[in-house]
Amino acid sequence: MVNFMLLAPEITVVATGLIILLIGVFMSPRTKNVLGYLASLGVLAALVLTIQSFGTVALMFYDTVSIDGLSQFFKLVFLAVALIVSVASIKYNENSDHTEEFYTLVLFATFGMMVVASANDLILLFCAFELASLATFALAGFEKQNAKSLEGAMKYFVIGAVSSALMLFGISFVYGATGTTSIPAIAENAAFLAQSPIGIVAVVLLIAGFGFKMALVPFHMWAPDTYQGSPSVVSSLLAAGSKKMGFVAAFRVFILALPALQVDWQFAFAILAVVTMTFGNVVAVSQTSVKRMLAYSSLAQAGYIAMAFVVMTPMALTGGIFYTLAHAFMKGGAFIATATVVWMITTQRTGNLDVPDHLDSFRGLGKTMPLAALSMTVFVFALAGIPQTAGFMAKLVLFSSAIEAGMAWLAVIAVLNSALSLFYYARLVRYMYFLPPEGKKIGMPFPYAASLLIAVAGVLIMGFWPEPFLQWAMDAAQVLI
Amino acid sequence: MSEIIDSYIPVAIFLVVALVMPPMTMFMVKQLSPRSRAAGKYTTYESGSVPTGTARIQFNVEYYLYAIAFVLFDVEVLFLYPWVTVYKGHGITSIAIVEMFIFVFILLFGYIYLWKKEALTWVK
Repeated sequence: MVNFMLLAPEITVVATGLIILLIGVFMSPRTKNVLGYLASLGVLAALVLTIQSFGTVALMFYDTVSIDGLSQFFKLVFLAVALIVSVASIKYNENSDHTEEFYTLVLFATFGMMVVASANDLILLFCAFELASLATFALAGFEKQNAKSLEGAMKYFVIGAVSSALMLFGISFVYGATGTTSIPAIAENAAFLAQSPIGIVAVVLLIAGFGFKMALVPFHMWAPDTYQGSPSVVSSLLAAGSKKMGFVAAFRVFILALPALQVDWQFAFAILAVVTMTFGNVVAVSQTSVKRMLAYSSLAQAGYIAMAFVVMTPMALTGGIFYTLAHAFMKGGAFIATATVVWMITTQRTGNLDVPDHLDSFRGLGKTMPLAALSMTVFVFALAGIPQTAGFMAKLVLFSSAIEAGMAWLAVIAVLNSALSLFYYARLVRYMYFLPPEGKKIGMPFPYAASLLIAVAGVLIMGFWPEPFLQWAMDAAQVLI
Repeated sequence: MSEIIDSYIPVAIFLVVALVMPPMTMFMVKQLSPRSRAAGKYTTYESGSVPTGTARIQFNVEYYLYAIAFVLFDVEVLFLYPWVTVYKGHGITSIAIVEMFIFVFILLFGYIYLWKKEALTWVK
């Protein structure tokens, strides 16, 4: 008999989504604010259930679902992002008529990501990948009166559909050469795949499919437009959550299913990681839209995380997995801080209304919205890797693992990139604190403040007291070795 | 290496045939088929009846909502067929019943949602 309690977090998320959808249609727009609190509570409950289940190891449903350290850690990442996003969205969806659709889509997307983290079978992995993708396509175009939102959603959808097809094509080659879709069974039957050219084709197709979600250069074309055009709370979900889904899928498929082809994908990831981090950082320097800048910086961060595939020591995998959680808090929080500024610009009707997230909107934010400015400072410094933040710990583990494994060249490129990134992060801080404000001091809406505080707490706790998180990341890395 | 190339020879033959066939058929059709230039040939094809009015009319968008809802539930009925075939004789009767009830129950959510959002009302 299957122990359904192991799936309690997933069931909680889905049940909350369905309940919100059902009661939402019977409510008037003014009372729909309750739905946001309900969604946040559901995600929080799922988060607690996930943390309680750490250390459990089980295989379910004819070995298609695997509950292990890796899956539980990534569920923690996705639920943390979902919590930040759903709390902040209480304000974003205020007086909206479509609150229930928004939260249901967020929760279903989170559910899809959680199933990807647990997937032990390529078909289940693909279905869950699609569930999360379809929900986020709709979320990206949620502001249907806003042409930029629609443009971003359209690009995301078209490129997403093509990359899903490539991924499925890759899966079909793997299935054809091994005769199974179960991840452990593929690793056992990979002898033919490893020696025939089909193996290379499959690896290339799978990297293209996952690389789209991870937004690695050259599969990143959609990312800046979509992150900029989507509502900021949705960009937060995309950059902090959905991107990690690509990583956990790649961890499972490449490291667990295709170790026989390690030489090939390791080489590909080495090139992708270096190109991605350099491209992201160099292009981010010249951006004037903060959301676009964060989008390119999130490309760069994906490049750092991809180093885990290149170094492939237990320490590197620990660092990469730890980095995903750190990045979830830093990037998720940074987009929420941008959402706060966009809200300020659109309600005050001052500044650049066409590009509300323009760098100029951040002028004197330290005076007008001290909490938003302070938390944004924490996030960007963490992204740059200033000590005593989550970003520093993550980079420390990851970069030193590269040096230990004798890949000093990779560590040098990554450190140089980090130094470059400090330039555009510091410029944002300069705008917030050293330039005069344009308006008066404004009260911070409670949901945004609460969401920012959760993210700041995450970044600082992971910086000052990283041991439990590193331990969890190490347990997750154990699964892969 | 030459083995791999040799194994692609059938593919190459297919490619050549595929490239030659369409122009050849089109050429033969042009040579052999009779041609008529009657006025009726250039009217819109309406399965035999005489077309009336202009083709550029606006459809009610409700129609698409209806169609999508229909296709959704239609496809979901399809999932009942494999369920029926394994229902008896595998000792899973009770689990199968519960699972199908969960499935239908989730569909019910979708139905109530459509209903409340007035997707099923023809003219609002």
